[in-house]
Amino acid sequence: MKRRHVAALVVAAVPFFLIGACGTDVSKDAAPAATAVSTTNVKNVADITAGSTFNDTDVMFLQMLIDNLEQGQQMAQTATKRATRPQVAELAKAVQVTQADEIKLMKGWLAEWGKPATLDERVSLHADHGGMPSTGEKEIASLTTVPKAQFETAFLNLFLAHQHNAVEFAQLELDKGSNDLAKSFAERVKQSRTDQVQQMLKLLAG
Amino acid sequence: MRRKIAYPLATLGMVASSLVVASPALAHGYVSSPPSRQALCAAGSVANCGAIQFEPQSVEAPKGSKQCNGGNAAFPELNDNSKNWPATSVGKSATFNWVLTARHRTATWVYYVDGTAVATFNDNNAIPAASVSHTVDLSKFSGKKTVLAVWNIGDTVNAFYSCVDVNIGGSGSTTPTTAPTTAAPTTAPTTAPTTSPTTAPTTAPTTAPTATATATKPPATTAPATGSEWAPGVAYKVGDVVTYQGVSYQTRQAHTSIRSWEPGIWTLALWLPL
Repeated sequence: MKRRHVAALVVAAVPFFLIGACGTDVSKDAAPAATAVSTTNVKNVADITAGSTFNDTDVMFLQMLIDNLEQGQQMAQTATKRATRPQVAELAKAVQVTQADEIKLMKGWLAEWGKPATLDERVSLHADHGGMPSTGEKEIASLTTVPKAQFETAFLNLFLAHQHNAVEFAQLELDKGSNDLAKSFAERVKQSRTDQVQQMLKLLAG
Repeated sequence: MRRKIAYPLATLGMVASSLVVASPALAHGYVSSPPSRQALCAAGSVANCGAIQFEPQSVEAPKGSKQCNGGNAAFPELNDNSKNWPATSVGKSATFNWVLTARHRTATWVYYVDGTAVATFNDNNAIPAASVSHTVDLSKFSGKKTVLAVWNIGDTVNAFYSCVDVNIGGSGSTTPTTAPTTAAPTTAPTTAPTTSPTTAPTTAPTTAPTATATATKPPATTAPATGSEWAPGVAYKVGDVVTYQGVSYQTRQAHTSIRSWEPGIWTLALWLPL
């Protein structure tokens, strides 16, 4: 109820954000308007509404990715403290802040759809043939105890797997999801994680 | 119960591997460092790799192959020795690190050189630990070799294959040669001396061209970036100003730009609209 009200307000006040969110050009006229109000509007990433059309894959994608990102927050947080090279810490921090916004965004959409933001049980996409998720509590906790000299190797390998998993979730959404904005978001997730993988592999090699 | 479902799926073998092409959902692991062929493809260091660049963890095929692609027809590029795969210099032994996107019960990890197993690690059907790495003695060999690393899954008929090109005993150990180059290759040398002439012009160029330059440059290089068009692959520092689609943005969080981190509503954590 309340949320619908907010959504209507956003649509009325800043329609260009919604257009922008759908992946078109835009923002030429967004610029002057944004100067004064930008920080207030902009901070409400979660007010980007997804629309009422969705299917089970859309819901599962968001729920799985929220779980993935919340784990990612822990891992990135640890990396900002324990990484020895500034490039590794910087990547971790940038991932942390961008994914924090993504969590807000996705929780907003699930609330809009009246669906829970949490998973009943963490399962791997590989569970049907015996696979366990790549990162559980134990694996994440290991990053806080691994000797500092081995930290970056441990973190990068674990986080590579984690971001590969996010790409898998995104691909599932692209193949079987129905909500346009969720699919557009999935494409962004696929791209950003794929490029983060490139950076991490190069950091591992260096 | 779940196992019973698992076995028939696994025995589909070829069907399963063709599904990998359609969706990467069956992907599970690869050697990340020293970089395997699929890691080099995923990192963008080797071009024209085909589908494997998007899913380096997907080289799954029935156990027993000695090929780099494990016999998985979806990834023929991995077997192509004419691609001039860069070889990583290693000493008399090398430590192989794995990325696992799903933790399968594991029979063994086996490393082959010239078709012969040189090291086997038996996991006795356990779930792999958080970090998986193996140190393999390569002292019997020298020069360029391709190490085939195989992860034999404990509860399916399949394995995961990674070929790692190494130069054994070449120019000493791996770390000294590679580490300094990546530290500050792009922005540091050019910008730092010019912008901060007052305080430390003499010491900076002589002593620390690489590593320390990254630490000292942030305050110095804010100005030059102003107004340039946003682009991927650029190391942006806090305060840098870019334009994107006619709008100016200031960097809030230092980062190296990638696709989908362009300034806009989705990335306000990185960019402040001006």
